[in-house]
Amino acid sequence: MSTSSEFLLDARVTLERGDLQLDAELQVHHGEVVALMGPNGAGKTTLLNALLGWLPLQSGWILVDGETFEAPGEGTATATHRRGLGMVFQDGLLFPHLKVAGNIHFGAAPDADLVSLMETLEVSNLLEKYPSELSAGQTQRVALARTLAADPKMVLLDEPLASLDIAGRSRARELIGTALSENLSGALLVTHDPADAFALAQRVLVLENGRITQFDSPSAIQSEPKSRWIADLMGWNIFRGTRRGSSVVLPNGTEIATAGLQTDGEVSVMINPVAVALFPERPVGSPRNSWLCRIRGVQLLGDIARVSLSGPLNIYADITSTAAAELALNEGTEIWVTVKATEVHTDPHASGD
Amino acid sequence: MRAHLPIRIRLIALGALLFMSAPLMSLLWRVPWSRLVDLLTREVVTDALLLSLVTSLAAALAALSLGIPLALCLTRMDGFVASLVRAVVVLPMILPPVVGGAALLFAFGRNGLVGSVVSDLTGLILPYTLTGVIVANTFVALPFVILTVEGALRAVDPRFELAAATLGANESRVTFRVVLPMVRPALIAGGFLGWARALGEFGATITFAGNIQGKTQTLPLAVFVALETDREAALAMSVVLISVSLLILVSLRDRWWPVR
Repeated sequence: MSTSSEFLLDARVTLERGDLQLDAELQVHHGEVVALMGPNGAGKTTLLNALLGWLPLQSGWILVDGETFEAPGEGTATATHRRGLGMVFQDGLLFPHLKVAGNIHFGAAPDADLVSLMETLEVSNLLEKYPSELSAGQTQRVALARTLAADPKMVLLDEPLASLDIAGRSRARELIGTALSENLSGALLVTHDPADAFALAQRVLVLENGRITQFDSPSAIQSEPKSRWIADLMGWNIFRGTRRGSSVVLPNGTEIATAGLQTDGEVSVMINPVAVALFPERPVGSPRNSWLCRIRGVQLLGDIARVSLSGPLNIYADITSTAAAELALNEGTEIWVTVKATEVHTDPHASGD
Repeated sequence: MRAHLPIRIRLIALGALLFMSAPLMSLLWRVPWSRLVDLLTREVVTDALLLSLVTSLAAALAALSLGIPLALCLTRMDGFVASLVRAVVVLPMILPPVVGGAALLFAFGRNGLVGSVVSDLTGLILPYTLTGVIVANTFVALPFVILTVEGALRAVDPRFELAAATLGANESRVTFRVVLPMVRPALIAGGFLGWARALGEFGATITFAGNIQGKTQTLPLAVFVALETDREAALAMSVVLISVSLLILVSLRDRWWPVR
């Protein structure tokens, strides 16, 4: 693996396409897998196409392993087929007129170890089949084999698992993880599923409306979501409200205290269900964020009990199943709900959806 | 499964089918089948047969080699430019072939806009020559090739081209190893349709290349002449033309028209 430059990928992509104004700067380290997440229309595929040279930049730069593909004043951009960037498409996009073997050999590097690659991805027994004869999972494995056979400097994957059913998905995720770690100098993986992102990626890049809202480790994404969309994705409680000083007032008048003091305006309030505590009696010292709520239901998810509550605040609390047993949670009973002000996150970018 | 049709619509449909097949049936009815081989081996007929075979095949190949590149370019055009180019391309399909032949004379005739330059440079004279027949046939065959191939090309997901490029394929490799192989059925269909059209060409050929037996007299021209002089020979040659055309259409099944 070459380490001639600090980053495998160093890019700033600025371009307009329809309603989308994409402006994203990102760096990917050698050997790193970065998951790219974001709502539909956020510009994920556009970003990949720009990195591939399929869409021209308006401004910015693209450097891969220290080699400049596009940069201001650099004249012509490097053509897609000279970039050495591999791409795996959501639907595989295998060439329908070629057998699996023909697809894998299409761009294979002369020194590629195809035999072990095909074994890793379990496609050795499919070589004589046409793409139309393959299942969705087989298609994606062949697509990845075809891409890796070309020995790319970096692989871009656009929702490679989205078309698979649940059973095929976990197996394919496992195989992709193995293949990526064995063959790869780095990857950018677009996915809608946090499970894919957390299983395969070292860092998660979140793109919303053409801008990067967070670029962090999976654990930071989980514990400190920087936007409403990420918090929602992580299963957090989300409320819309108006900020007044250090508090946020919800439309029904409920006030939520936060730790910080920011400018007034519309905000989203985000609370991790894990940070919501339940007490049968009013807690002593009466913390500012305490409300009397009614239990609507309890759902057991492994060791976790997800308690759904309604009242001044309709909120979910995730508590251990042991704690749930001790509290003797019954539907309809009233319970005290508290959240520390330091556990209340806000996102000022509440406009939009 | 669709709903049943009213009886009067079905009756009209039957009438339409009869109207279209009656001429064909009547012609086949009159063919002197027992003397077919004898009729088809007369010199006028063999000359025309051979000439038709050579010129129509040459025209089909020429139409493919000119039409595929134009179809590829047309696929990348849109808006007004695409409409304009497509109109020019389709025109020979709609134009009365005689007008097409006359236009060919003005373009490629001895004193034509292009023809005078070509004959000055190469000494090549097109009108009233075998090459002229091929030119006229290519002119009328091209729209069939271009429309068939363009329809298929437009149906190819452009991301296949991106996929090939990410695998290191340059423009030539993308075109020759991915795009064209993917539309192979349309290339074959376009070639056969162009061939069938060239084989049946009459108006443009007689106007541009004349009607000289053994030199420019193709089967349709020979049929036209024989109708006046030797009706049985005309019928025999018509059978050949009908058989070949039907064979092409049936073997192409529904691929003969671009499906959008």
